[in-house]
Amino acid sequence: MSSAGLERPQVVAHVQQALNYTLFDCKWVPRSARLLCLGSAARGTGVLQLHELRGGRLVLLSEIEKAKPIKCGTFGATSLQQRYLATGDFGGNLNIWNLEAPEIPVYSVKGHKEIINSIDGVGGLGIGEGAPEIVTGSRDGTVKVWDPRQKDTPVANMEPIQGESKRDCWTVAFGNAYNQEERVVCAGYDNGDIKLFDLKTMSLRWETNIKNGVCSVEFDRKDVNMNKLVATSLEGKFHVFDMRTQHPTKGFASVSEKAQKSTIWQVRHLPQNRDIFMTSGGAGSLHLWKYEYPAQRSKKDSEGAEMGVAGSVSLLQNVTLSTQPISSLDWSPDKKGLCVCGAFDQTVRVLIVTKLNKV
Amino acid sequence: MPVWLREFRWRQTPAAVYLSLPLHGVRVTSANIFCTDQYLKVSVPPFLFEAILYAPIDDTNSTAKIGNGIIFFTLYKKEVAMWDSLTLSNANKEKLQYLRENAVLKAHEKAKEETEAKKVTKQEHKKYALEATMKLEEAERKRIEDLKEKERQKVTEELELWRKEQKDTEKQKRVQKEEELHQEVEQLKEKKKEKMNKAGIPNEGTSKTRLKPTKGCCGSYSMFSENLKEEQLPAPRSAATIKIDFTPRVFPTALRESRVAEEEEWLRKQAEARRTINADLSELEDLKEEEKNPDWLKDKGNKMFATGNYLAAVNAYNLAVRLNNKLPLLYLNRAACHLKLRNLHKAIEDSSKALELLTPPVPDNENARVKAYVRRGTAFCQLELYTEGLQDYEAALKINPKNKTIEKDAEKIRHLIQGTTQDS
Repeated sequence: MSSAGLERPQVVAHVQQALNYTLFDCKWVPRSARLLCLGSAARGTGVLQLHELRGGRLVLLSEIEKAKPIKCGTFGATSLQQRYLATGDFGGNLNIWNLEAPEIPVYSVKGHKEIINSIDGVGGLGIGEGAPEIVTGSRDGTVKVWDPRQKDTPVANMEPIQGESKRDCWTVAFGNAYNQEERVVCAGYDNGDIKLFDLKTMSLRWETNIKNGVCSVEFDRKDVNMNKLVATSLEGKFHVFDMRTQHPTKGFASVSEKAQKSTIWQVRHLPQNRDIFMTSGGAGSLHLWKYEYPAQRSKKDSEGAEMGVAGSVSLLQNVTLSTQPISSLDWSPDKKGLCVCGAFDQTVRVLIVTKLNKV
Repeated sequence: MPVWLREFRWRQTPAAVYLSLPLHGVRVTSANIFCTDQYLKVSVPPFLFEAILYAPIDDTNSTAKIGNGIIFFTLYKKEVAMWDSLTLSNANKEKLQYLRENAVLKAHEKAKEETEAKKVTKQEHKKYALEATMKLEEAERKRIEDLKEKERQKVTEELELWRKEQKDTEKQKRVQKEEELHQEVEQLKEKKKEKMNKAGIPNEGTSKTRLKPTKGCCGSYSMFSENLKEEQLPAPRSAATIKIDFTPRVFPTALRESRVAEEEEWLRKQAEARRTINADLSELEDLKEEEKNPDWLKDKGNKMFATGNYLAAVNAYNLAVRLNNKLPLLYLNRAACHLKLRNLHKAIEDSSKALELLTPPVPDNENARVKAYVRRGTAFCQLELYTEGLQDYEAALKINPKNKTIEKDAEKIRHLIQGTTQDS
């Protein structure tokens, strides 16, 4: 290995813990060294495990069992003092839990008819402004936005027209929440559709199709004027859209990269540097990417309308940790370079990515 | 016949024998000299010199110097003694022969031993080289591992520090909160005390009850501050629904599952077929405009088929085929007509043509293909070619395994075949 290779960021496996249930999602508890694992036990019940990183090990602090397997969770919509977890489960229920008293949920609603595939929260944790909201995307083809203060009905519902055949929604993400009114929701579907909904005007702002099912979408920052959106899909491709300039017909400019042969399950941006993101793949690999902006971010086309210019993406590092897909990934918001990933081989791994300061 | 060399000179010391052998005009190399412990031979064709030595010598250490026209041997004796002569005098032919062979054998053995020794040393050298490279690689790997380990440890330490900080800040916050709460309680208590003192004794009885509300007030005080915070958040959004539609796909399968290439080909073929018009204008001038449209003719044919007028239907289809011979449905429908008219061979021809045009096989033209197979199968059966018929029925079943009528008919044919084979 050349010394130049050692100058790049290294992904070091810090701790590995084998679990006895299928792990669907793992999240850091903000402002702490604790992490949460969500999944499904063999007997078909949901499992919530709270671990703490101590010394070189993960110590199990508490384990909570729920009726239905849990698919996804987020801390995005709670305040830093409360740190309530919002989860979506296989039965289509959205629940918000207080982890210190997890027997009864703080908020509960049967939001969807089928499994909630993806959940995101905004407005909490001291990030961004505006009301705390949670968005859920489900296999029944609808995307619903909830406010924890309003019971039973969503504040926004994106559903197919009557009679239209539905497509599974696989992923949702909030963005553009830079003041109290503005907010957008981006949803990715299994037929390759990506739709951008503007919640201020309650309309569809943009849509496109990337031909392969969209596994994961994420804005680089939820709480700024929307800058970049990364969408990953099946067959190893991901697209980075430059969201600053919307052309009336062509939409947003994008650059796409084919990273590997297998599905790219997740993309997560580094909270401390919005141009670095990590993608996790179906072959158990993790790729660390850096986006470089073009010299000019927008240019005029032949009719004088502004259109965006996409930059370029370069691979910083890649590592293969497992033989099974790595289905979930989360960066720690408090420690730069610390991240947790969960794979379908029932292991949760805490990784440290070094030298991110020098990138 | 070799030329024996007999002129040689020799002298000896107790330990060695010095032999000089003149060889004129020939080049001698080490290959020409053959020496064992009791036999010495120099053979440079056509010259030959051999000597059966008086006593054994140490042939490994003995040397031969080849100089200009002369070979100088230095032979070290095994036993220190003075030889009577260089060679054994009483050497009869047999002994000579025996000695010669012996010598050759010995030489062979020696050569073998030498090669084996060489091999062994070579192996050892190789092994050594391998080990050396392995060690080097190990060292390199270890160096990298150490670097990685160091990084890991550094980061682990940082993590621990950070975690402790977190714990400390949390503790501090908790302590702070408690203190604040405590202070508030104290303050309120003070206020209440003052009030009580002013009010005098009668309030003592109610003081206990009063204290409780203060605690409640205390709680509500902090809740109140939180409520203020909530007020700063905007009210929940007014509910609204956005209706969406999805990108239509000609074939509702995921990209990797769809056989896009084949499907595109099929679509293209269809489009092309619709466009071909083999117009034979001279004959068709009498026809009306609409009668020149193959689709219209097909519809006409269908209608006549429905009413039972099979001959007319066939005519309509014939004309349509003349105009456009690439539409598989025309052949398909004509096959049905021929079946009804019991023109079985024609029915088979048309179904085959239809099947030809219905390639590549895609889900879109499934129904058409099933019909073609069934019609051809029926025609075969009516011609009593049951095996071919069964083949077609099975093909139809493969495309559409859920169709009960096809299954029943296939069963019937199978029974028929078994029946006929039993008879014959």
